[in-house]
Amino acid sequence: MSLLNLESLQVSIGSVQAVRDVSLSLQPGECRALVGESGCGKSVTAMSLLGLMPNAAETAAQHWQFAGRDMAHLTERDWRKLRGNQIAMIFQNPMTALDPTQTIGAQIAEPLRIHKGLSRRDAKKRAIALLERLAIANPAQRAEQYPFEFSGGMLQRAMIAMAVVCEPELLIADEPTTALDVTVQAEVLCLLQEMRESSGTAMLFITHDLGVVAEIADSVSVMYAGQTVESGSLTQVFTTEAHPYTQALKRAVPSLENPRPLEAIAGTPPDLRKPPTGCGFAARCSQRMAVCEQAPPPMSVGDSHIARCWLWHEDHPRRWRDKDGFTNASVIGRSRR
Amino acid sequence: MLNFIAKRLLSGVITIWFIATATFFAMHAVPGDPLTQEKAMTPAVRAQLEARYGLDKPLFDQYRLFLGNMLKGDFGISFTQENRRVNDIIREHFPISAILGVAAVLIALVGGITAGSVAAYCRNRWPDRMVMIAVIAAISVPGFVIAGLAQLVIVAMNNAAGKTLLPVAGWGSVSQIWVPALVLGLGTMAYLSRIMRASMLEVLSADFNIAAKAKGVHGWRLFFHHQLRNAVLPVVTELGPTIAAITTGGFVVELIFAIPGLGRYFVQAVQQLDYTVIMGTTVFYGAFLVLVVVLVDISYGLIDPRIRLHRGRS
Ligand SMILES: Nc1ncnc2c1ncn2[C@@H]1O[C@H](COP(=O)(O)OP(=O)(O)O)[C@@H](O)[C@H]1O
Ligand code: SF4
Ligand SMILES: [Mg+2]
Repeated sequence: MSLLNLESLQVSIGSVQAVRDVSLSLQPGECRALVGESGCGKSVTAMSLLGLMPNAAETAAQHWQFAGRDMAHLTERDWRKLRGNQIAMIFQNPMTALDPTQTIGAQIAEPLRIHKGLSRRDAKKRAIALLERLAIANPAQRAEQYPFEFSGGMLQRAMIAMAVVCEPELLIADEPTTALDVTVQAEVLCLLQEMRESSGTAMLFITHDLGVVAEIADSVSVMYAGQTVESGSLTQVFTTEAHPYTQALKRAVPSLENPRPLEAIAGTPPDLRKPPTGCGFAARCSQRMAVCEQAPPPMSVGDSHIARCWLWHEDHPRRWRDKDGFTNASVIGRSRR
Repeated sequence: MLNFIAKRLLSGVITIWFIATATFFAMHAVPGDPLTQEKAMTPAVRAQLEARYGLDKPLFDQYRLFLGNMLKGDFGISFTQENRRVNDIIREHFPISAILGVAAVLIALVGGITAGSVAAYCRNRWPDRMVMIAVIAAISVPGFVIAGLAQLVIVAMNNAAGKTLLPVAGWGSVSQIWVPALVLGLGTMAYLSRIMRASMLEVLSADFNIAAKAKGVHGWRLFFHHQLRNAVLPVVTELGPTIAAITTGGFVVELIFAIPGLGRYFVQAVQQLDYTVIMGTTVFYGAFLVLVVVLVDISYGLIDPRIRLHRGRS
């Protein structure tokens, strides 16, 4: 049974329809990357998964299940028991996401005190042990220090410790290395992956860095203008990308294996205060058709590979041929099921 | 840290010397002297008195004499209160001013922090609006008007009840402390709640506040451990000016509420040009405020680890 099953999440903040239609699923232990340009609604999706949108925001979903629970009607009380315990979050900027007036040790120990009822001493011990596993030298001394005494890379490791300390089932990492020096990004990522794998925690890894995705993700969801436009396994989305937006994204990333001129994606994303009624990507799509005036529903491309694009409609000619021009019966069979 | 305190104290001593000198010469520049207040006085008596108090000496000698005695901790004898030593006046009456002042500072702090936090939590809703209207009223009305109004209200209440619900003035009972303390602290409370509201709003939208919520922290724990501790820092930096404002405000409130504090003696002394009492109380208040500022700086370091540790290293 899947750990998280979210179908058609919609979040509007005032007049902004920040998230219009996002569907995500995660198996226990799976790492799914959520990629997309900045402003496409990744962080809003993440905060909604923690039930932390401001009161002014309106959240709705067709179906929303986590660890066997219906999440759509959770009370604030239930959310509190969940946050930091079953679902934890690693924030983008560790410099601002840690409380400047509390010691690192106390901040890591805090979830244990709240959720597991540990004594101050026991919680502190666990925090120090965790810092040690995260390769921080002199962890006992470091635990007594304050955030301003830590470097960015160390702060992000402290934040990882804070997030994994209760061994949550789902970890949400919102661009966890974007704010760090390039030199420490790989190290922090490695430690994060290690912690996650050793405890079998599933992760939603939010990023706009496709290079990182290839290294850590099992599956990928691509977001554009508040919608998931493509999702599938890492190989499906990265080697047989189906949505024109994913294709454009890939052309905008340098590749060592086959160097080619980079192409920026022309145009800008739509204004989410007045989102387009048809395909969200139509204004920038080179393969636009007449039918694209209407909003495309998610369409099956292959086994659990989905694209929100009319090109993958079962009546579109390309569905009758694979890349080499031969009839691809397996795809058709599935899409007609 | 010790180094830091020593530096602050040294600059405090210089400040006090400066205050003392400026006051001394300003006081003597005012026409008349303590003896002109007395009724008709024969020249012989006057000369005798001047000799007794040293007023016949050149001004600069008087200044040297005063400084020398001040260093010995002796401020001399009052001109207007027969045979009372200035040191005794301070010792007897400052504790009363201190009780009133501490009560006023506590009321201003607790009230300001509470009102500011409530306003920030209820941003743009009616509790916020009410707090902000009250703040503007309390800041724009001068303290002596508030004091007079408070007495009018108390009198009206007592008349309506037909008995003494609250004393109008005087000193001794608990309500004779908190009523004037509230009047004294009101303006500062308003000022502090405005600062508190702004800094709490900042904290409420800060990343670390959202991150704390994401850990499952909520309710009072969230408020005391994360929000208050950060939001109160700008209020603590205002503590020095706050105590100064309440100290000087106390002069007026003590007069209006007939409280036998040192402030009242200070005002009287200025009116009567009682040289020794003016100098004694001025230097005393100056030293007191310098000490307060140093203590506030230290307490700020206790709350904010960034400052504490930086000082520790220097
Ligand atoms: N608190 C908020 N109030 C109003 N609009 C917001 C708020 N947070 C995000 N938005 C809007 O929602 C959209 C998605 O933002 P976000 O999820 O932060 O994007 P991403 O994380 O993908 O860069 C943006 O257009 C942003 O302006
Ligand atoms: S639906 Fe049409 S406009 Fe949208 S991505 Fe597909 S081809 Fe392009
Ligand atoms: Mg973001």
